[in-house]
Amino acid sequence: MSGLETVKVIVDAERQAAKIIDDANAQAANIRKGIGTGIQEQRQQMLEAARKDAAAIVARAEAEGKLEADAYQKESAQALQVLVAKASTRKDAAVEKLLAIIMRAEK
Amino acid sequence: MMSETEKFTEDILSNARGKAQSIIDEAETEAQKASEEAKTAAAREAESIMQGARADADAVKRREISEARHRAKIREQEEKDKIMQEVLERAKKRTLELVKDESKYSPLLTHLIESGINELGEKDVMIHLNARDLKTITSLEPKIARFAAHVKVEWSREPIEASGGAIISSPDGKMRIVSTLEQIFDALESRLLIEASKSLFGE
Repeated sequence: MSGLETVKVIVDAERQAAKIIDDANAQAANIRKGIGTGIQEQRQQMLEAARKDAAAIVARAEAEGKLEADAYQKESAQALQVLVAKASTRKDAAVEKLLAIIMRAEK
Repeated sequence: MMSETEKFTEDILSNARGKAQSIIDEAETEAQKASEEAKTAAAREAESIMQGARADADAVKRREISEARHRAKIREQEEKDKIMQEVLERAKKRTLELVKDESKYSPLLTHLIESGINELGEKDVMIHLNARDLKTITSLEPKIARFAAHVKVEWSREPIEASGGAIISSPDGKMRIVSTLEQIFDALESRLLIEASKSLFGE
């Protein structure tokens, strides 16, 4: 191999080496770019799932609250009926008591 | 056998491949790390959303129950008010009917006049009655004279507008104690409501 041919072989090898590095840099850039998109998608998925779960938790609590509220309302309506019935039996006595106070005219 | 030139170019390419691999490895490691960090951050965000939701859920549940309690309380109060008003009205009606029962009304009227004279604290007083009671002055006078011997009592001939009771005033009318049945009832109303509540609901 002549000296010129040797130089040519070495220059080719350098060129190939530079291309290998360039390709690697391009691949690295793609990896970085790809991960950016991947991260964004993954984040969106996680947050979307969390939002769905959150909405379900609130909806469930609202339904539970309504059930408890209904139960409370029924109980209090029954208690009120008892209270009204008891008070009704005391009306006459209450009127007499008020009348006695008025008769004494104690302001 | 490999020539020196071939060995040299192979070294160049081998170095390049090694460097290329480390560039890619570095990018992958970086990507892996970024991915992990992003995952952790997103998990934190998601947890924060969930925490908010749990707090909202508690608040929603508490609000539902609290509103139900509030509605029940209002309903209960409305029912109680209704009953108390009924009792109050009946007591008022009975009070206004008292005037028809001389045995009960006469002592009440005497008592009202006596209290009015004492409260006014004057030596000369004027007593005002309604038209019906004015006709009973003859029977009232001796009773009033018993406890008001030191007071000069005049009876106004002008009837007042009242179901019963009396107005005791100074002769010039500047000071007056109004003890009509209506006024007594109005003055006692808040106390009567409290007493009615105690009697009816044990409160």
